[in-house]
Amino acid sequence: MTFLSTFAPSGGRRLFRSGFIMPAVLIAIVAILVVAPLVRILLSTLTPEGIAAWQAVLASPLSFNLWWRPLFNTMILGFGVASGCLVIGGFLAWLVVLTDVPGRRLLGLMATLPYMIPSFAAALAWGTLFRNSRLGGSAGFFETNGLAIPDWLAWGLVPTAIVLIAHYYSLAYTIIAAALSSVGADLVEAGQMAGAKRPRIFFGIILPVVTPALIAAASLTFAGAVANFAAPALLGLPVRMQTLSTRLFGMIETGQNERGFVLALLLIAVSALFLWMSDRIVSGRKAFITVTGKGGRTKRFPLGAWRWPLFAIAVIIGLLTTVMPVLVLAASSLAPQSGALFSNWTLHFWIGEGGGEIAQGQAGIFRNPVLIDALWNTIRLGLVVALTTMLLGLALAYTIVQRRGSLLATILSQLAFVPLLVPSIAFAAAYIALFGAPIGPLPSLYGTFALLVIAASAHNLPFAVQSGRSVLGQISADIEESARLTGAGLIRRLFAIIFPLAIRGLFAGAILVFVKMVRDLSLVVLLFTATSPVLSMVAYRYAAEGFMQFANAITLVILVVCLAASLVAHGLQNRVQKWKET
Amino acid sequence: MNALATGAADAIEIRNLVKRFGAFTAVKDVNISVPAGSFLVLVGPSGCGKSTLLRMLAGLEGPSEGEIAFVGQTVSSGAGGVIADAGRRNAGLVFQSYALWPHMTVAGNIAWPLKVARWPREKRDRRVKEVLALLGIGALAERYPAEISGGQQQRVAIARTIAPEPSILLFDEPLSNLDAKLRIEMRSELMRIHRASGATSVYVTHDQVEAMTMATHVAVLNNGRVEQFGKPIELLRNPATTFVATFLGTPPANLLPARRVGDMFVFNDTPLVSGAVAPGHAEVQLLYRADDVAVGAVPDKPSVTARFAEAAPIAGRTMVTAMLGDLRITGMAEGYFSAMPGDAVALSFIKSPDAVFAVSGERINQ
Repeated sequence: MTFLSTFAPSGGRRLFRSGFIMPAVLIAIVAILVVAPLVRILLSTLTPEGIAAWQAVLASPLSFNLWWRPLFNTMILGFGVASGCLVIGGFLAWLVVLTDVPGRRLLGLMATLPYMIPSFAAALAWGTLFRNSRLGGSAGFFETNGLAIPDWLAWGLVPTAIVLIAHYYSLAYTIIAAALSSVGADLVEAGQMAGAKRPRIFFGIILPVVTPALIAAASLTFAGAVANFAAPALLGLPVRMQTLSTRLFGMIETGQNERGFVLALLLIAVSALFLWMSDRIVSGRKAFITVTGKGGRTKRFPLGAWRWPLFAIAVIIGLLTTVMPVLVLAASSLAPQSGALFSNWTLHFWIGEGGGEIAQGQAGIFRNPVLIDALWNTIRLGLVVALTTMLLGLALAYTIVQRRGSLLATILSQLAFVPLLVPSIAFAAAYIALFGAPIGPLPSLYGTFALLVIAASAHNLPFAVQSGRSVLGQISADIEESARLTGAGLIRRLFAIIFPLAIRGLFAGAILVFVKMVRDLSLVVLLFTATSPVLSMVAYRYAAEGFMQFANAITLVILVVCLAASLVAHGLQNRVQKWKET
Repeated sequence: MNALATGAADAIEIRNLVKRFGAFTAVKDVNISVPAGSFLVLVGPSGCGKSTLLRMLAGLEGPSEGEIAFVGQTVSSGAGGVIADAGRRNAGLVFQSYALWPHMTVAGNIAWPLKVARWPREKRDRRVKEVLALLGIGALAERYPAEISGGQQQRVAIARTIAPEPSILLFDEPLSNLDAKLRIEMRSELMRIHRASGATSVYVTHDQVEAMTMATHVAVLNNGRVEQFGKPIELLRNPATTFVATFLGTPPANLLPARRVGDMFVFNDTPLVSGAVAPGHAEVQLLYRADDVAVGAVPDKPSVTARFAEAAPIAGRTMVTAMLGDLRITGMAEGYFSAMPGDAVALSFIKSPDAVFAVSGERINQ
């Protein structure tokens, strides 16, 4: 019957146009971006070569090295990083949100910064400090200064886990802090009125209410650690510690595509399994929608004598994970000998001419035409992906929200969240499977900038839809409807009402996407070629060849770009919506 | 401890209570005491300090000066802060937001305070059933707060608060989130529960109708100060200040500024009342109930001509509001009355003013 009314004489065509074409186009886009690569990678492992690869990986003398060992390492990393992140992120979130610790804003800001720093920055900084002479090459800062560093602290699982915790704890912090601040003061005070003491209130009320957030934080940091490529590649590969992602990279790098695809599928399965399980646990519980009290107050507990000691611990965590790596990278990029961080500083690695004694005659990074190219490419990639992602996200979110409850909306939102389950390096492998060869009349996209953009947009879809929804959530239906009553059409409403109100949220989302792309390595590491270099890849190349100072210098450039983007965003945000003075 | 069984000491006694937040004084020198079993309503406009006062009674905030005593025992004081913890003063608080714990079922929410108080299991289960029945929400026991309506959440919040049988019940604008019909229902419900539990209740609201219908004692607060404290009828009959006179009562009373001319007080060139009502005052404010203002000219009574603004039928009569310059004047017409906005309408003052106030707002005793 709704079908019939679609053809009602007045305005029927418009209804038809906006009501059917847009969702159809969106479904097509999402299918090409998300479904096609995954189906393709699965199909290409079902060919005779593919079956052989399955056998080699899972049931052959090779499978211990190809699958079981990397799986074991990956699991250890995942669980280790998830628990470390919960402890540190949870501690900081508790401190900032629920206590009267001094400098709460500062601590909160510091706890969110590490996520802005690429994980390979921390890995490079770790190497600069802890590298030992076991593998030849110059030793790190500590060993040079007479402090022997055991192998387990210099290479392999332990440093990889530490570096990943230092990177991902801020994600856990963000999630847990948001959940904790939604626990209204009224809930706590109601507990106090019941006569419960602080531990009882914490374990009986606060903890259960934020449990879904804890599970979400654990599973997301787990997935992040499992998918991460940079840290295990830089700290593990030199001692042959393989994770699934480095194995996958190695296979495709050496032309064993089918085995790589099989590993990619297995990696997807592992990561998706854990995310799915945590989702089951969370949705099995009741979704705790709290009615927040007056102005969403939160109750802050007095820490008493512990205020300053706990503050000091939080500051030290913040300094070690943000300021330290940056300082180490900066000093290293100036020091000719990586062991002697603070002597004989030179700008050679930045602007030096090649051919000298230093660094086997390599010129400084700003003399390297590839770098300039890569810098431009990286920024272009960040901007284009931010734009496509946010537009796509807004369109998807609008369609999903408008048609809430319909089959179409369900399909769209489910599909859009699939990339969340797919580690980025495996996603890149799927894109190679799909676009590595020409499809019909279309040329092979492999190695083109376009492929990077498409893959990155697809990879960011879940985030895009999420932020699109939260942006639209801030615009109440009334506002849009009151505009509709004036007779304004969809386009007019979009530009006059929705855009001005949504711009701030869109901007924030776009900046996050930009930063994510600029510091990304695991997605581009497989898709990048000499014709489309990006900064993170150039840095990784330098590091893999042992030119640590160059790698560190480029990493600093990436950091500066990310930081500049955040600052610009901050400045612009306060300008675009003047009525929201902060 | 049963509130009704206590002796001479008042159930709640508030002495010289002051609360400051930094430079801002939220509660200024409040003195109130009520006997056991009373229903004390703290009423006033938003920001008048009534919620702060309630939170001090609950033990969630400490006073800056003065003290609070429950049944003769000091529970909070400016010197000692919160002496008896929120959980230790045998008081229950119903939050404006209900503050239901979202991860517990309805029954779980009600049972938890009893668990904290170490009630044995059987007694606990019995009590939970009892209050569920008392509030008529037995069918919801296994639901989660997010799954029930606002009115039902309200009932759960009340059930949870009365379950441990506190001798003092505190309500923070509990009905403000409900729709008008539900509000009236819950109002009678609350009074029923108040009588059934025998507890002393303190109820915060900005709605003067709630105050007038529910209270045995009312304290009208304004700017952190108690403007007047007493029985509702007393406040209505003998308002001590212009604030109380205009804040309470339906329909609202009229306050007319008048100047002494000769031996009469004159409002807008109309002599209204003899100057003897306020000896020594050149200017006064005269309080006329809407009932004492008739619509249309009445022989031998002073009258003014105003511009008709609106009319609302009430119980067979019509409440008529007209504007005289910027001043709203409300009178009562017999039967139904209507006119076009802006029409001239005569208003007659058929009785002498109910009360006379100085320009500063205090009442001048006649």
